[in-house]
Amino acid sequence: MNNSENNGSQVIVVTSGKGGVGKTTTVANVSCALARMGYKVAVMDLDIGLKKLDLILGLENRVIYDIVQVIEGECTLKQALVKDKRFNHLYMLPAAQTRNKDDITPEQVKALCDEMRKDFHFIFIDCPAGIEQGFRNAISAADKAIVVTNPEVSAVRDADRIIGMLESAQFKDIKLIINRIRMDMVKSGNMLSIEDLLEHLCIELLGVVPEDKNVVVSTNKGEPIILNEKSAAAIAFNNIARRIAGEKVEIPDFSENSSFWSRIKTLFSR
Amino acid sequence: MIDFLKKIYARENSSSRDKANERLRIVLAHDRTGTSTHLIEVLKEEIIEVIKKHVEIDGTPEVTIVHEGRQSALDINIPLKGR
Repeated sequence: MNNSENNGSQVIVVTSGKGGVGKTTTVANVSCALARMGYKVAVMDLDIGLKKLDLILGLENRVIYDIVQVIEGECTLKQALVKDKRFNHLYMLPAAQTRNKDDITPEQVKALCDEMRKDFHFIFIDCPAGIEQGFRNAISAADKAIVVTNPEVSAVRDADRIIGMLESAQFKDIKLIINRIRMDMVKSGNMLSIEDLLEHLCIELLGVVPEDKNVVVSTNKGEPIILNEKSAAAIAFNNIARRIAGEKVEIPDFSENSSFWSRIKTLFSR
Repeated sequence: MIDFLKKIYARENSSSRDKANERLRIVLAHDRTGTSTHLIEVLKEEIIEVIKKHVEIDGTPEVTIVHEGRQSALDINIPLKGR
């Protein structure tokens, strides 16, 4: 773990422990945003047997080969990489659907990432849910880790476990993304807040993505949400991408003080 | 009137978020250290037994897990009787 960052390229694993918190959506949108900024980006789907990234990126019809075929020498890496249809600098390495997580090893993933480092600025690894072989494969090659969680007890508990495992694996750079937060519910005392999560998990915050129904619409169409300029989630994913690229971008206050009702509520909650 | 409404609102507020935080605090402490409420009780009893062999205890000893960042420690507080 923590490989020296060869020629400035970064391998970043996106993980969560719990499934369904938005790992794949995060990987897809952050990588699209970085590619739009001009970086060369590769995304690697390591959820072998349960692939999703191709579908989220709308590239499912372009997949010919997969990562297991590359590792087993049935095709070259270049043949397997799927070029994105919108962003010239974005490539996806698909997972295999009919194989399982034990068909590849951490060493093989690491060798593959090392081969990719020379061509890409950022390589994102979409980690499967769980803490078994798939997780070990996904973290083996990474320099940094991003933990995605939701403001919900079971997701926070799993995130904490994952952070502990990343620390045991000597990861020094572990950052948190809080996905699907609803500030109206935080305000009314019915959802864990950003501060609550940071207090429990004690790691650095990389970004906060508000709940946004536009994400479902984009996913239905196989389009990244970042293309929808009006979406709050799009703004958040763009900001996260900029922070990963090293820019200083403040985390905005998502409170909705503008509406009449929320002002009344604030009055009573003082 | 406003105070009354505030009170009702506050009562509703203190509900599920506080409860979630409270439950997480306990469950994360146990997850991180591989301990349980039962184990802490057992530890407490055994530690007290050992201390009692040598010195006199005054008051109620406390054994809890404390945290600093992601590090955990066993906090043992045993008041001793003065002479």
